Amino acid sequence: MLVIFLRTFIIFLTLVVVMRLMGKRQIGEMQPFEFIVTLIIADLACIPMADVSIPLIYGLIAIIGLFLLHQLLSVFEMSSNIFKRIISGKPSIVINPDGVNMKELKQNNLGVGDLIEAMRAQGYFSLDDLRYAIFESNGKLSALENEQTNKGTSVPLLIIDNGKINSNNLKAIKEEELSLVNYLNTQGSKVKNIEVMTLDGNGRVYLKIKNQKYKILQFNLQEGVKW
Amino acid sequence: MVKTIITIICSALIIAGSAIYESNFVARQFNEFHAVLSILYDKVDGEVATQDDVYAVQKNWIEKKHVLHIFIPHSEIKEVDLWLSEAATLVRDKEWHDAISKIEVLKELSEQIPMSFKITLENIL
Repeated sequence: MLVIFLRTFIIFLTLVVVMRLMGKRQIGEMQPFEFIVTLIIADLACIPMADVSIPLIYGLIAIIGLFLLHQLLSVFEMSSNIFKRIISGKPSIVINPDGVNMKELKQNNLGVGDLIEAMRAQGYFSLDDLRYAIFESNGKLSALENEQTNKGTSVPLLIIDNGKINSNNLKAIKEEELSLVNYLNTQGSKVKNIEVMTLDGNGRVYLKIKNQKYKILQFNLQEGVKW
Repeated sequence: MVKTIITIICSALIIAGSAIYESNFVARQFNEFHAVLSILYDKVDGEVATQDDVYAVQKNWIEKKHVLHIFIPHSEIKEVDLWLSEAATLVRDKEWHDAISKIEVLKELSEQIPMSFKITLENIL
């Protein structure tokens, strides 16, 4: 029985560490250790239930062991902010008044695409729709709207993500790489220096250059190109 | 917070209490079984064992295994059942040499099974 408990303890701790290293992408509305308990407990209950050769007590002890670990972590989390940060992580400010914070996104194993996706789920389609966006430790996005922005009527497409051109989206807007490079030259920048560039169907550009505040610009789309 | 701490203490006590009881209970049951098997071994070795002697061991084992099912994987209990049945047939047919090897296996099992409950590296990993 103690052997089972120790094995549960080792697996649980390993999963907590792995989930924390995986970042916020893997978690949904739960703290990492709550997510792990949910993941394991179903299996633990099923194995002795379905396999009659395994004594029921093996499953029961493992479930009680998990409950004990869960409660212990809850107490540690409540009693110390350092523990809370270690166990559950901290919220990450991924959009601030300067624009998208790529460093924070990378630290959480997230890309701009993930951020835009999470924003769309909240009803925001453009990166400048938000003044602040925070990925909470449970993986949920909290948003503070940017009141100065005009909400567009078209969905922005990601054209440059962290210095890389998204060729599919470029094709979709019927533009050549060269015209994009020329456009960026007129803005005094190069593709490799661009952290994020999005473009909507009205030619409205969100441009975030490394170490600079984001800019809202206009791009002349080819005639007939609209989405 | 108080409720959480109480639940932690309760679950820790349940685990610790059950573990101590289980470890002692399984060790005691298998020690007794091992002692019974040793007597049978001596009788088979002296070629004086009867089928009733093996039946007595089987009866002793059946009484124990009802409770042991709670703690031990049923496949291991079944293994003891099978070896014991074979030993009974061999003793009935007075095939002493084969019977003794079966009882050797049973003695080994009665030593090995309680070992799997000990906190050792090989059991944990």
